[in-house]
Amino acid sequence: MTLLLRLLARYRRAIILTSALLLSFLLMTLQVRHETAVVTFTRQALLFAFSPFIKVTAASIHGVASVWQDYVDLRTLREENKRLQLEVSTLKRRLDQLQEQALETQRLQRLLAMRDSSQAEFLTARVVGKDATNWFKTILLDCGSMEGVRRDQPVLAPNGLVGRVVEVTPTSARVQLFTDAVSAVGGLIQRTRVTGIVSGNLGAGTRIRYLPLMGDVVVGDEVVTSGMGGVFPKGIPIGRIATVERKSGALFQEATLTPAVDLSRLEEVLILKSLEVREGFEARTERPQ
Amino acid sequence: MSWFLPGLLLCVIAQAVLLGPVSLMEIRPDLFLVLVILVSRRCSPERATFLGFVIGLCQGALSGAPLGLHAFTNSLMGFVIATLSHHLYTDKPFALLWFLLAGSAAASGMRLALLTFFMGPRPLVPALLWVIIPEVLYTAAVGLLILSSSQIRAALTRTV
Repeated sequence: MTLLLRLLARYRRAIILTSALLLSFLLMTLQVRHETAVVTFTRQALLFAFSPFIKVTAASIHGVASVWQDYVDLRTLREENKRLQLEVSTLKRRLDQLQEQALETQRLQRLLAMRDSSQAEFLTARVVGKDATNWFKTILLDCGSMEGVRRDQPVLAPNGLVGRVVEVTPTSARVQLFTDAVSAVGGLIQRTRVTGIVSGNLGAGTRIRYLPLMGDVVVGDEVVTSGMGGVFPKGIPIGRIATVERKSGALFQEATLTPAVDLSRLEEVLILKSLEVREGFEARTERPQ
Repeated sequence: MSWFLPGLLLCVIAQAVLLGPVSLMEIRPDLFLVLVILVSRRCSPERATFLGFVIGLCQGALSGAPLGLHAFTNSLMGFVIATLSHHLYTDKPFALLWFLLAGSAAASGMRLALLTFFMGPRPLVPALLWVIIPEVLYTAAVGLLILSSSQIRAALTRTV
């Protein structure tokens, strides 16, 4: 026993390092292969613990930024213009608030219009955080399972597809953007009905792969979801073809596309809740005569 | 180390929310790695390994990455940096910059290798051009500012 303790004490550095590395490796293996309850619980517990802080910070930033801007502005004022400048600043702040409200109303009106036109059941959510690494493209939303959010629900913006829900806690949800390198969305060239797979390529843009070599694809063609795979309804705009690549000897052609939605500036999104009514989107994509 | 938990919380908030406006080409500095380096330079390799593991778990939970990915790289980085810190003199800004560049590049390289192993091959050139190199440079620059903040403050005090 004493010998064992002495050995443990002597090699504690190697034991701790090996344990940490093995545990990490085990977590990765479990998650990639099976998605066990232990990994999900750990992940959700950490996310649940941090999400209130993230939400409060995100909500405070806008207010703090405007207050800080006012403070900096005020410090540079001359003494004799103080009263006048204060009045202007107050009016400006009110104007900014009104402009911000007008922009928000405009965005929400577009979301509402989209919701009404598709006759599907949606949930509106605010974007409160981004992925903590540069390897993945995910965003954090301010609503979770308590509001009815479930894994694999499609997430949309007024202009088109955003991604799908990949992780849900009671108060928040993580969305994998369709530009993520490990995302794959069935895409359809709206003009010619040629299908392919849309996926991200790290920072090198979004690509649509596995397009038939003889398929008619030209720059400017609109790409919509094909509905294959059962996650995304058919007909949601994904983007427009930017370049087409036909490599000699290749079995398929590829194209890069410009996303319909500016994913770096998302503030509010719609989560498509009910699976039954997703088919309603199909009517929006008409086959050209 | 009473500042560890507040520091970790600050990192979480900064990485998820605050760094958005200062991202360059959608790349943000890896503050979690800077925290690992900061912690590892002040404690034993055993403790640095454990704290690196905890930091990595939190970073993994806030990203789409497999949960153990950052725990693996950060615990290994913590161990190596804590071991090296006792043998290398890294207080000079130039030495610290190289230390940060090497550490950040090693962590990014390990992540790419692990992602390839667990989730299939990644395109190497886009990964280098659009993720690894910008992230390494940005993290090293921000890390240098944070880690040498006491020296900067002392220099400013002397000047005043």
